[in-house]
Amino acid sequence: MANGKDHQHLLPAGLKDGLPPDAAFEAAMVERLMACFASWGYERVKPPLIEFEDALLSGMGAAMAADTFRLMDPVSQRMMGLRADMTPQVGRIAASRLKSSARPLRLSYAGQVLRVKGEQMRPERQIGQAGVELIGTESAAADAEAVLLAAEALKQLGVAALVVDLNAPMLAVSYLRESGIADPAPIIAALDRKDAAAVKELGGALAPTLQQLMNAVGAPAQALDRLASIALTPSAAAQRDRLVEVATLVQAAAPDLGLNLDPTDHRGFEYHTGVTFSLLGRGVAGEFGRGGRYVNQAGEDATGFTLYLDTLSAALPAPKPARRIFLPRGASHDAALRLRQEGWVTIHALDNGAEDEKEARRLGCSHLWRNGAIQML
Amino acid sequence: MTVGTGAPTFVLALPKGRILRELTPLLTQAGLGPEPDFHDENSRKLRFATSDPKLEIIRVRSFDVATFVAFGAAQLGVAGNDVLLEFDYPEIYAPIDLGIGKCRLAVAEPAEMVGEDDPNRWSHIRVATKYPNVTRAHFAARGVQAECIKLSGAMELAPTLGLSRRIVDLVSTGATLKANNLVEVEHIADVTSRLVVNRTAWKTYPEEIGGWIERLRAAAGAI
Repeated sequence: MANGKDHQHLLPAGLKDGLPPDAAFEAAMVERLMACFASWGYERVKPPLIEFEDALLSGMGAAMAADTFRLMDPVSQRMMGLRADMTPQVGRIAASRLKSSARPLRLSYAGQVLRVKGEQMRPERQIGQAGVELIGTESAAADAEAVLLAAEALKQLGVAALVVDLNAPMLAVSYLRESGIADPAPIIAALDRKDAAAVKELGGALAPTLQQLMNAVGAPAQALDRLASIALTPSAAAQRDRLVEVATLVQAAAPDLGLNLDPTDHRGFEYHTGVTFSLLGRGVAGEFGRGGRYVNQAGEDATGFTLYLDTLSAALPAPKPARRIFLPRGASHDAALRLRQEGWVTIHALDNGAEDEKEARRLGCSHLWRNGAIQML
Repeated sequence: MTVGTGAPTFVLALPKGRILRELTPLLTQAGLGPEPDFHDENSRKLRFATSDPKLEIIRVRSFDVATFVAFGAAQLGVAGNDVLLEFDYPEIYAPIDLGIGKCRLAVAEPAEMVGEDDPNRWSHIRVATKYPNVTRAHFAARGVQAECIKLSGAMELAPTLGLSRRIVDLVSTGATLKANNLVEVEHIADVTSRLVVNRTAWKTYPEEIGGWIERLRAAAGAI
């Protein structure tokens, strides 16, 4: 580094400063998402940034253990974890303080999470999340509600060409276990990569069915038929039937929504127990979010989803810049207030002297308040 | 992919070198034959048309095929599972074993070392390789820490010139090892070329991508 002072500006890997106008855009995005969640009856909760490690990483939270920053609490001398995902926190709230609230319980949240290391494809270590949890129901209608709400929220934000990828990560796991495979992990890893050669090698007698499952992908019109014709063991069949039911419900409610089926997709759904989904955009790298069915810390059936604000703000069209008007010294306070009420951003001169027009341009204003009127520059 | 006003164009990334010759009949069979310029080693072009107007081909280094596909710069590619093992990109699917480019990934050492040392006593070894991740994982699985020296080619020189005593490299016939007085001592993985697909592209364009996968699967079975 040429200049020693540059070190002062360097941030740790995977962290960044949000600048104008992106920071404001992201905040506005969160507001719109939360308003959409609220309109479906989801009430906001605000868990703390840091919790005791044993609570944060218990139950479904265990899947995030490797991603969680720890620090020692000097007060209690206990280990604390900085949240790497908010879903386990909402699960804890539902299981404790809100345990006597009526079920199904609809909760929403938004906040920042921190991860120990970035992923290959997502190097960010601090990620803004917004999401919902629908707790205390096992119904397929709940699975469909999560998908439909996510689709509506993204549509309202202006996401074009959304594709919802529906999965049943436990389908293959159940099938392997019920077929007497003690450790399904290596085969599941091969299925995660859709590695046909490895599935054939590791799958043995089960390989043809696994290959059929891998082939049952694509638009519902073709994938649903293929999926229905595969001979499966009882709980695997139950997983399959639920996936088919949810896909059918979603299609009926939102016929225009882009749907893709991929029953064996398992990666990233570590604590999930039923139908899951990823929210993807055509031509967009990364995911807008993901969600699905799980069992929370109190053993309650739940589903929900999380949206990633970084992918969303990168994929959405840049917001139109606000109209800025420059007010020279001495402009009336009432006039300025009226302008703001009309939607103008007012930039007040703080010094006399500089030429107004020049100063207005320098501060990024398109208009100037002169002699009681708006003047375009 | 290029998303413009018309239909989107998709990109198939192919590795330069020997795999290309084995691949060409397969592509032609699948109706994805490249334009004649593609076979001209002297052509300065980097992107080539195919007989399918929706698909074009780029020619890059084999390791870069995985990177292009993982990041979605290419939606389809052909890569050996040696490359896939080395990077393990979560965004890459490998739905077809094309059955070409057969070789193996192996550990080799100088002939005079064989029989002399006892692998059970190792705690740390030094290896020259193009595959540091695979090598570390291979030795870590039996409690040995492998210090890898990353090379991009000519691994066989490392033992003779004292860079490291062992190498991990692709072995096809074994002739190169023999010529350099090296012996293959451990097998890590069998390698063949795979059709690789970007996860998001497949899920968001299931008809187009799925269609090419079916055509290539049929062609791979037929050849």
